[in-house]
Amino acid sequence: MKPLTDYLDLSQQFPLTRQQLRETDRSTAALVLSSAIVAFLVMSPMLWLVFRATEVDPARAYSLIVSSQTGWITLNSIVLMAIVMLCSILLGVPLAVLTTRTDLPYPRFWTIVAALPLVIPSYIGAIAFVGMFGSGGEIDSVLGTTIPAIDGLSGSIFIITLYTYPYVFLTTRAALLSMDSSIVDAARTLNAGPFEAFKRVTFPQIRPGIAAGALLAGLYAISDFGTPAFMGANVFTSRIYWETTGFGREYAALLALQLIAIVAVVLVIEAGIGRDEDATSSGDGEGSTIRLGNWKWPAMGFVSLLGTLTLVIPVAIFTRWLFRSEGDRIPAYEFQLEFAFNSVYLALLAALVACLFALPVAYYSGRVNSLTSRILERATYVGFAVPGVVIGLALVFLGNRMLPSLYRQGVWLLVFAYVVRFLPQAVGTIRSSVLQVDEKTIEAARTLNAGRLETFRRVTLPLIMPGVVAGSVLVFLTTMKELPVTLMLRPIGMETLVSLIWNAQDSLAYRYAAVPALLLILISGLSMLILLRQEGGKLS
Amino acid sequence: MQQRSSDQMSRVGRRTYLAAAGGAVAGLAGLAGCLGDGGDSTPIAEVDPMTQGVNSGTLSWDDLGDLEGEISIYSGRTPDQISGVFEALEQEYDDLTVSVDWDDNDTQVNQILEEETHPADLMYSQDPGALNALHEDGSLQELPADVLDAVPNSYQHNDGYWTGVTGRTRSIQYNSDRLDETDFDSWDELPTDITEYATDERFEDIISTRPNSGTFRGFIQAMVERKGEEETREWVRQMADDQNTHLFEGGSDQAEAINRGGDDDPIIGLGNSYYAARILNEDSDAPIRTTFTENDAGCLFSVAGVGVLDQVGDAELVAEFVRHLLAEEGQELMMEDNGEYPVVEDIEYVGPLPDLDEINPPEFDLSGFDMDLQEAGDLIEDEGMFS
Repeated sequence: MKPLTDYLDLSQQFPLTRQQLRETDRSTAALVLSSAIVAFLVMSPMLWLVFRATEVDPARAYSLIVSSQTGWITLNSIVLMAIVMLCSILLGVPLAVLTTRTDLPYPRFWTIVAALPLVIPSYIGAIAFVGMFGSGGEIDSVLGTTIPAIDGLSGSIFIITLYTYPYVFLTTRAALLSMDSSIVDAARTLNAGPFEAFKRVTFPQIRPGIAAGALLAGLYAISDFGTPAFMGANVFTSRIYWETTGFGREYAALLALQLIAIVAVVLVIEAGIGRDEDATSSGDGEGSTIRLGNWKWPAMGFVSLLGTLTLVIPVAIFTRWLFRSEGDRIPAYEFQLEFAFNSVYLALLAALVACLFALPVAYYSGRVNSLTSRILERATYVGFAVPGVVIGLALVFLGNRMLPSLYRQGVWLLVFAYVVRFLPQAVGTIRSSVLQVDEKTIEAARTLNAGRLETFRRVTLPLIMPGVVAGSVLVFLTTMKELPVTLMLRPIGMETLVSLIWNAQDSLAYRYAAVPALLLILISGLSMLILLRQEGGKLS
Repeated sequence: MQQRSSDQMSRVGRRTYLAAAGGAVAGLAGLAGCLGDGGDSTPIAEVDPMTQGVNSGTLSWDDLGDLEGEISIYSGRTPDQISGVFEALEQEYDDLTVSVDWDDNDTQVNQILEEETHPADLMYSQDPGALNALHEDGSLQELPADVLDAVPNSYQHNDGYWTGVTGRTRSIQYNSDRLDETDFDSWDELPTDITEYATDERFEDIISTRPNSGTFRGFIQAMVERKGEEETREWVRQMADDQNTHLFEGGSDQAEAINRGGDDDPIIGLGNSYYAARILNEDSDAPIRTTFTENDAGCLFSVAGVGVLDQVGDAELVAEFVRHLLAEEGQELMMEDNGEYPVVEDIEYVGPLPDLDEINPPEFDLSGFDMDLQEAGDLIEDEGMFS
């Protein structure tokens, strides 16, 4: 691990003409500036937290911070985050290897199965699980017995892991696909066993990818409100919610700041692990296929089992809701195609804007390893770790005052809120692919007298396109299922798939939640196909 | 009380701070050149009724003026509860558009508190505590005199800043199929005194509630007012520690669990009666039932109501809209859709629940119900009732 201050100034490593150097300085300055602007914009809602938190009476603030209550929620939140990260790696990495490096039959199908849980909001998963396995649930009424209760902290860890491990799966998979596997073959010809080759050759190369995915899973876990609330786990988000229900927004802000403090520590630690200069390579990801032999049966069984748990059960429950006995008709919950269009439209805009915002930050931090680049990159992660309701309130305050003409009119403030929440998903994946772009390719283009921008457009951008697409898809998927910010900042009267699911579910009118929930999974599943398609020939 | 005085002091500090910060931010916004688009600043209390006021006997929609234009509403209630009325009004008046923002009640209140200018005309809330919080913040304006006259004083704000539109009660929910698992042979053996639910050992491990709801906090406030703080604290402590009360985050989840009737699910629940009514509405064979305590906070009658935000699009339209909610059709639609009680005196209750006379809710003046919800929240949390 290199210290953060270990500058790696690329311009000194390669002989460039004087003219090129001047141009480099200018474009680097522009890159730093645009990264800084992005970081400032997405961090700006946090100013509200500081502003509100300072309103808490200092004595009360002190007692709140040092109370045993706070100690417990801190501990619980850290445990939740750490175990979700660990379990996500344990599930995600083997699945990524299985679908890219082995001769598993129907790899595309299994890839979709393994990635799709990400599209299901974890609280919907929680409801489905309790409906299926909980006491009084489907299994209970058929078999008269229940599996151990899924609730509390352990229940939250279980559910959140099932619906967030795809972060690790997708980022690790991307890293595996773009790494140069000829070195693995080289290692194998030097008589290293498959495990040894993985540990010594593959793992160091995909480590940034794993770390990026695990970080997303962990930050999602710590910011998730719905699942711990449903499971009755005592963590930061449920406590923040408790304070907001008493209209104690300033207490909620104080708690959110404490949450950010924990997250900051995690971000710094991860910055060390995720950094890896060895990861620069641009391979075709082919060759070195591990032959599974008879192991393909247990392998397929494992993915099937996981898919049954995460996908079949919720879909079965939703489908059952569809046919639930009819009560009074509630016209307000009638599904309209317009809701699906709204969801897709918002998610597309969010994905587009997030990529535009992410490009300078990811490119800068991927190419230049300086303290500034690391800080700017990490800054974009904070919004992802803060519960949506807190970001929502912050943007209500700021948007209503600073941009009243955008507030709840048109979708731009809402799209910005999505970007604040989900930017790191794009930054993380794009940065991983920037890291893997071979420096020499770019320098070659430069010596052929291509300008900075032209080089970026014609050489770098095509190389990092897999990361850009992966990032967009992630932002798209998470925007589709986002709830609190959507409810708070959408134009009044605009409904989306999740707002309908939420309302119907909240009123126990489950049959109305079924169609939008199934449609949400379908649309997101299709977007996953796009992700796979652009991997194209890499999957044979 | 030490706690209260320090809270009040910090509130003064907060106001000053907010004013200063608001000024600074307003300056910035002015600089950006896009400060709000105005709206109608005429106080709605000063706008004459289009035809006649709602206080003059029971009026039907035909007696009132035509609604024309667009009205936007922040709703803390769910669409199944009130959208029927809005849709009926839109059908009645071709030129009326009702735009509703549906969200969680407390989130709506927090959002309005964070706003400087409000994009909506009305807040339709589940409970008086939320509306009081908005008034204290200065976000609401006084309602017209005839509207206030139509509703009993105890169901509206003292100075007329909000009014109840419909009422509902706290109740005891139970699973009728599972009573044989308890030491109670029949539902009429369930106590009619809310205290016993905390002290009677027969409720241990089988009882549930939802401490984060506005109505639960309102219920706690009511108990404090009737029985004193000490006794209330003891009640909460006993519920949390002795009875091992099953705590839920959502009223629907709670009612659903009672109805589901699994081995680990509670058999009894303290909650609003309409959650049970909704399940029965979806499935009339469902085992969930309700009963009521007698004349104590356990069957507190509370209102859902509206407050008009301080700046509205069209003052005349907004005032007339509120009149329509209180007119006969408005009241009856909400009884039918949601099993709620009317608040306008001459309108008869026709829903599925027992009539208010049969329930005996406590005499309680909601207007004098100065609920500091945060304080109630602190009390609940202090005594360990926190999931």
